[in-house]
Amino acid sequence: MLFKISISGIKARWKDYLVLFSGMIITTAIFYMFEAISTNNKFTTSSPIGQNAKIVFIFGSILLAIITLVYVFYANNFLMSMREHDYGLFMMLGAKSGVISKLIIIETLAIGLISTVVGIIIGIGFTQVLSSFLASLIHMSLTHFSAFYMPAVIATIVLFAILFLIAGFLNARTFTKTSALQLLRSDQQSDWKQPKALTLATQAIAGVALLAGGYYAMYDIQQLKVMAIPIALVTIVLGTYFVFNSFFVMLLQAFQRSSISHSGLNSFTLAQLKFRIRDYTKILSVVSLLFALALGAITVGTGFQRMVPKLASGNGYYSVAITNPNYEMHSLVGQIKDKVTVTYQQKVDPQAKRVYYRRDQLKEQPLKYAAFVSRKTLASKTFTAKPSQFKHSDSPAYQELWGLQKPTIKAYQIKVVGQQAFNRVNAKTNQLLMVRANDMDAAAAPLTKITNLQTKQYGYQNGEQVGGSFTLYQSFKSIFGSLEFMGIFLGIAFLAMLASCLMFKILSGAASDKIRFDMLNKIGTRRSVLNRSIITQILVLFALPGILGILDVAFGLQMFAKGGLLMGGAYQTFGVTTAGFLVLYLIYFIVTVLIYSRIVVPKTKVER
Amino acid sequence: MTTKIVQTEDLHKTYDKDSAKPYEALKGISLSVKEGEFVGIMGASGSGKTTLLNILATLDQPTSGSVEIDGQDVTHLTSNQMADFRSKKLGFIFQDFNLLETLTAQENIALPLSLQNAKAATIQTAVKTAASKLGIDDLLSKYPTQLSGGQKQRVAAARALVSNPSIIFGDEPTGALDSTNARELLDTLTNINQQGVSILLVTHDPFSASFCKRILFIKDGKIGDEINAGDKPRNEFYQEILEKLGTFEQ
Ligand SMILES: Nc1ncnc2c1ncn2[C@@H]1O[C@H](COP(=O)(O)OP(=O)(O)O)[C@@H](O)[C@H]1O
Ligand SMILES: [Mg+2]
Repeated sequence: MLFKISISGIKARWKDYLVLFSGMIITTAIFYMFEAISTNNKFTTSSPIGQNAKIVFIFGSILLAIITLVYVFYANNFLMSMREHDYGLFMMLGAKSGVISKLIIIETLAIGLISTVVGIIIGIGFTQVLSSFLASLIHMSLTHFSAFYMPAVIATIVLFAILFLIAGFLNARTFTKTSALQLLRSDQQSDWKQPKALTLATQAIAGVALLAGGYYAMYDIQQLKVMAIPIALVTIVLGTYFVFNSFFVMLLQAFQRSSISHSGLNSFTLAQLKFRIRDYTKILSVVSLLFALALGAITVGTGFQRMVPKLASGNGYYSVAITNPNYEMHSLVGQIKDKVTVTYQQKVDPQAKRVYYRRDQLKEQPLKYAAFVSRKTLASKTFTAKPSQFKHSDSPAYQELWGLQKPTIKAYQIKVVGQQAFNRVNAKTNQLLMVRANDMDAAAAPLTKITNLQTKQYGYQNGEQVGGSFTLYQSFKSIFGSLEFMGIFLGIAFLAMLASCLMFKILSGAASDKIRFDMLNKIGTRRSVLNRSIITQILVLFALPGILGILDVAFGLQMFAKGGLLMGGAYQTFGVTTAGFLVLYLIYFIVTVLIYSRIVVPKTKVER
Repeated sequence: MTTKIVQTEDLHKTYDKDSAKPYEALKGISLSVKEGEFVGIMGASGSGKTTLLNILATLDQPTSGSVEIDGQDVTHLTSNQMADFRSKKLGFIFQDFNLLETLTAQENIALPLSLQNAKAATIQTAVKTAASKLGIDDLLSKYPTQLSGGQKQRVAAARALVSNPSIIFGDEPTGALDSTNARELLDTLTNINQQGVSILLVTHDPFSASFCKRILFIKDGKIGDEINAGDKPRNEFYQEILEKLGTFEQ
């Protein structure tokens, strides 16, 4: 009997359940996808930076699991806010608490089971699409990768089974510990407490000061060195909390005292917000911090990617060097549009362990080498080598030429000699063709083919031992490519979950707000005024953590800009990334407004 | 000549009209309330009291029939016009959810005027006047959680009064109060009525009804009977109500 009532209760609110389900399903899908990519050996070991990527991915999935926990908690609260009344009624009717507990646990687990299964199926689809995108990003072929990966399925099921079991038992406990009357009237209670003025002021000042201190620490990383990071972490976390708990409350109080509070529903809107913000302090702080983390991850990830050509060309002037190029090699070189080429004759004496070059050739077509002139902007300069510079093996010119030779002769000493001396060396003459592609991104395809051919030719497992800055370009690309992917992926996953948490937190309060909106409707509030009040309230709750998060990142990037990690590239992608982020966030905002309005705004009873 | 504040002709209301099981909650109600009257509407639970009140209060629309309030036909208003009409012409006192806990008594009382975008100074004086009528001047800066049930209901009454409405509607306003507080609120309403404000009270409680000057009995969606207090003392009228209920409920 109770079971039947329970089902009909769910039917009556199926739209709210739909929201709950879609949120849970997306969460599960994201978690599965992350597990499938990070734990899948085929994926991580076929990349040259396999182990590094694995650590980054494991770190990512731990963070993701923590956020999932928070998410399930809020989604569950939303669920229970919908069910409180029904269960209260059952208890009123004399249902035993054991029966109620059983019902609650069954309901929670059923929701968990359905969303986990559907989530994994959708997650497999996501994985298929995203893994090929990742592979193309880091120039990697994924021949044996399959989106369905059993260990990932198991990991996802285990995590969600644990989470829902905990949620189910916690729900059952809360219900059996609260009296039926309290449950029935739960939507009529208010926990509004007027905060003390002095505490508010102290916290507000402390909050702003702490935030400012944190931002300054990141800005002044050159002075503070490594200390900047822990200082910023502590001050920003505390500062964010205090700012939400008091600074914004004081700001709202100031508005309340001003004349704008007298018109329309402003007094109600301001009061709702003031009340909400203190109730929401924890979630708003977490949303703001993780928003920053996610946005930061994407910005830094994409920022690094943009640095690759600069980094690589500062490390060497020539992109590739080919010893005795054949027809195939020549035609590949021909495919490179904007380039500089130089060919030197070379003789190798294996007995003396020497490699000879002609002085006249080095004079006519001098070797060029690159060096960084500014660590900050990553600007590099090209120098022209005089033949005399090859006397010392530690000179940059010597190092450049040495690096461009084929791997088998790298142990030999370079000798620059006159033409006659060169002719006297009893060895066959090699041609060393050096190619500089001025735009490595554009020339990536032929350059990759050239290095692949060379790797095959010299039998080396690792392309890095073939000379030229392109091999560096490739390995930077793969490291930063997976960093970028991580950044984008984690960023979107975090944002999706955090915005959902915020959404559920707001929606959980909708049941009790309904009474207020009902009353406002009765005393004659136009629907448009009600809607404006709703939009303002939700907009502020979404905007404040977003703005704080963006500020955090804007200052946080200083660490990368000045600390020498990202240098000039730190702010390159900040604008685009933030815009993309805001679009996603906006979608969540709109969805929240729509669902919330549907719950709280009284239905129009006009029939004609 | 006394003007009619509320006037209805042959009101019908059918719920779920297009469904398989339409339910006719009001079956032709004609009534009128004159200016300055204190009218009660009594009936058993499910007899259609709330349905009637919702229609009179422009919260719902009748299936057929007309409703005039203060000379204006309210059945053909748009939803915005209805909202404006409520905030200017009608006052409400509800059973349990009365006040916004996040606003002070002062702000709660001021809401209807804020909705009309009245000037701050106007609001200030109107709130003061309404508050002193109900004797709650010293409670204005308090939040609802700091008030007793009776005090809350008086704040709600002040809010209903603040925009000088043509009529105040109450749907079981004493339903959630203990007898002392209920008595206090009813005395207050009587007091307000004596100052010339019309009141229409919906209740199933004979004690509350005995404060009214005229009572309409509603049964199965129709007005069945009507009694007048005339100059009778209240306890005598109360007895009359009980007797009427005894025969009416059969
Ligand atoms: N929204 C509605 N939809 C369908 N039936 C309703 C609705 N509201 C009330 N009713 C029915 O109309 C009748 C009168 O209800 P109501 O006016 O609330 O009575 P009262 O307030 O006198 O107890 C009841 O039988 C009730 O079930
Ligand atoms: Mg009723």
